[in-house]
Amino acid sequence: MKSKIIIGPWSYLTGAILLAVLNTLLFAALHTPWQITTGITYWAAWIFKFLGGAPENWHYFANNASKSEGLSQSFLSNSLSLMNFGVIFGALLAVLIASQFKVKKIKSPKQIFAALLGGIIMGYGTRIALGCNIGAFFSAIPSLSVSGWVWGISAFIGAWVGSKLLIKYLL
Amino acid sequence: MDCLYEACPIPLLKTMQSLKVLNQGDVLIVETDHSCAIKNIAEWVGKQKLPCEIIEVSNGEWEIYIRKER
Repeated sequence: MKSKIIIGPWSYLTGAILLAVLNTLLFAALHTPWQITTGITYWAAWIFKFLGGAPENWHYFANNASKSEGLSQSFLSNSLSLMNFGVIFGALLAVLIASQFKVKKIKSPKQIFAALLGGIIMGYGTRIALGCNIGAFFSAIPSLSVSGWVWGISAFIGAWVGSKLLIKYLL
Repeated sequence: MDCLYEACPIPLLKTMQSLKVLNQGDVLIVETDHSCAIKNIAEWVGKQKLPCEIIEVSNGEWEIYIRKER
């Protein structure tokens, strides 16, 4: 029983209930539901700023006052940034407790290319879609936002095309 | 079959491909270090009504044994 809880895998139902409860608690505490990629955008902007760039001139920040507020914050003072650290730290903790931690090797140059290309497409996509599968889908639908459903249908089509490409080029 | 360092859904898709070409009675051994793979492969194999056994060979590394009975 103990090993089943610690090592898992948990059922989809258990996961769904836990995610719903935790996201509700997060919303009650911070008045914003769980989101990921806006925090990652801040990470990129802060690094760019540190290197001497001016992210406040980016179209994304220049046209959105509520988003550009975060530019003056930092890795450890911005709540969305902290949320992302929480996800990484939590995942690390879980895998260490289950003693399944492992450093993975890169198998082929194809993997590097696919990962970089996928990362760039996803990153760009989340900015024009104003969120990823967490912020713009998982958190949007319980907020009774129609945009979450539009996002879901679009992602379904995208995933279908993506899986065809994956079978063709990566398998 | 070596599926180490591969992420979902590659191990599952490779399993589907390999089982197709195996003869009846053959055993497929899938090596993986992706924890999602032991869930989705076992689930799919179960739907095919084939027996399957998962052994954790070392920390975060598994071997999935699948016998092609039919």
